[in-house]
Amino acid sequence: MKRLLRIALSTAVVALGLAAPAAAQDTIAQIKQKGTIVVGVKNDYKPWGFLDPSGKIVGLEIDLIDDVAKKLGVKVEMIPVTAANRMEFLQQGRIDMIVATMGDTEARRKVVGMIEPNYYAGATNVLAPKSANLKQWSDLKGRKVCAVQGAYYNRRVSEMYAPDLVVFPAVPDALNALQGGNCIAFLFDDTLIVSTLSGGDAKWANYEMPLVSEDPQLWAIGVRLSDLNAPFGKLIKDMSVEWHKSGRLLELERKWGIKQSPYLIEQNRKLKSS
Amino acid sequence: MKTGQTDLPVLLPSRPPATPGEWGLSDASAVFGSRKVLAALVAFAVLSVAVAEAADANARPGILATVLKWTPLIATGFLFNLAVSVASMAVGTVAGVMLGLGQISIFRPVRGISWAATQFFRNSPWLVLLFFAMFLLPFEMKIGGVTVALPAWFKAIIGLALPVMANVAEIVRGGIRSIPVGQWESAESLAFTRFQTLWRIILPQAVKRMIPPWMNLYAILTMATTLISVVGIQDAMTLTRGALVAEARTDLYLPLYAMLLLLFFVYCYPIARLTQALERRFAVRI
Repeated sequence: MKRLLRIALSTAVVALGLAAPAAAQDTIAQIKQKGTIVVGVKNDYKPWGFLDPSGKIVGLEIDLIDDVAKKLGVKVEMIPVTAANRMEFLQQGRIDMIVATMGDTEARRKVVGMIEPNYYAGATNVLAPKSANLKQWSDLKGRKVCAVQGAYYNRRVSEMYAPDLVVFPAVPDALNALQGGNCIAFLFDDTLIVSTLSGGDAKWANYEMPLVSEDPQLWAIGVRLSDLNAPFGKLIKDMSVEWHKSGRLLELERKWGIKQSPYLIEQNRKLKSS
Repeated sequence: MKTGQTDLPVLLPSRPPATPGEWGLSDASAVFGSRKVLAALVAFAVLSVAVAEAADANARPGILATVLKWTPLIATGFLFNLAVSVASMAVGTVAGVMLGLGQISIFRPVRGISWAATQFFRNSPWLVLLFFAMFLLPFEMKIGGVTVALPAWFKAIIGLALPVMANVAEIVRGGIRSIPVGQWESAESLAFTRFQTLWRIILPQAVKRMIPPWMNLYAILTMATTLISVVGIQDAMTLTRGALVAEARTDLYLPLYAMLLLLFFVYCYPIARLTQALERRFAVRI
């Protein structure tokens, strides 16, 4: 009788699982069966994910994805996503995983399984001409600030400091507007501002990152909630630990010319000693 | 073709001789226009590169070289835009012809519904319709137990086909209405059925008048396909932006977009010229 009950229960669980897309069958098995892992990536966020002239997407995040694919012994299919559609794609089953500069927020955790340890942490700052003479965040109030659509910090900054946000579809448009004097600052990720400034481009010689970085934000690889504690989620978590521990992430930062992030150094030390 | 059940001695319309080349244009240069336009085009291209080159004092890889490096990729994206434009035009034309004929139906409900649909889709912004198509259509559909995936490009084609449909409907309705009522009356007096009148008398004349505005619409649609970049599809516009991100150089902004603009211009301008030529040719006195 007990056994019968157990069978009935497990069938019910399986049936429930079927209702959620692609959960009944283990995702790893599914990926292996397809022979490809489908990943949502950014192709307009240098150096995390961007295009090379042949149309291939390359970058730090792509290297991480290649590691996962190698581990599973499958090929990679990359689908360019935007902040607006990546979570929808994941839920629909169109992609198996998101590796697309996604900030790990409380609200998103209700929809997406966020892999820990997080693979990166950024903070918010602005890129501005020295002549703008910005001293503190509140100087932005009522002034035109360029930003990129869908960036997680837009909302917080506009609520706290009430700048007149001018939102562009992508980074180059915003940078161009900044250079054209359409706004006094560009709201962006601090490590990328550092990379831009240290790139040696004469056009940025008179620009600076004048404020204190705020709102440290962890970035996470996203999987479906049903995968988070399933073998697939566990595999990615283990790999993430390994990336930190082995110094792989620090090495990739160097490879792609990103300023060493304090978060990565700390995680590396912490996980190594444990 | 049967001409209906009647004993009356009716006059059948004479079949126009199918001479090849009737549609061809004797003057090919009419398509590409005067040399002046071509010269202006080249001058524009050279100028936009030159201006950017001059502004770039420090000697990094040349602007022209960089633009050329990305051209094959952007051209691939452009071909995708063209494919989307052709598909949208095909879907929109088929649906639009039906809607246009619906507008001249003798059944009031059909006429009413066709009219309402045409007006609605003709007076809505294309981008908004595209958004509706992208987010209302599901990601996959179950048709008789078979799950069919609806990829983003497919939804975009439908989204763009909606306004095209409404515009084609108006072109069809207008073309038919432009044929004098006398022709309908004569045909009726000769015992042609409504279908025969439409198919054998009215449409052959009306189609000629519909072709130029239809081509015009196609050119507009082709240029509007860049809208799909807004809903996250990898078209020429998205790829150009991608190239800009990868190069991280603001001095490339104008040259790269100018290159994209040229691709569209080179494709759409001949269509515009051809449309004008056809308009002149079909400016028939009925």
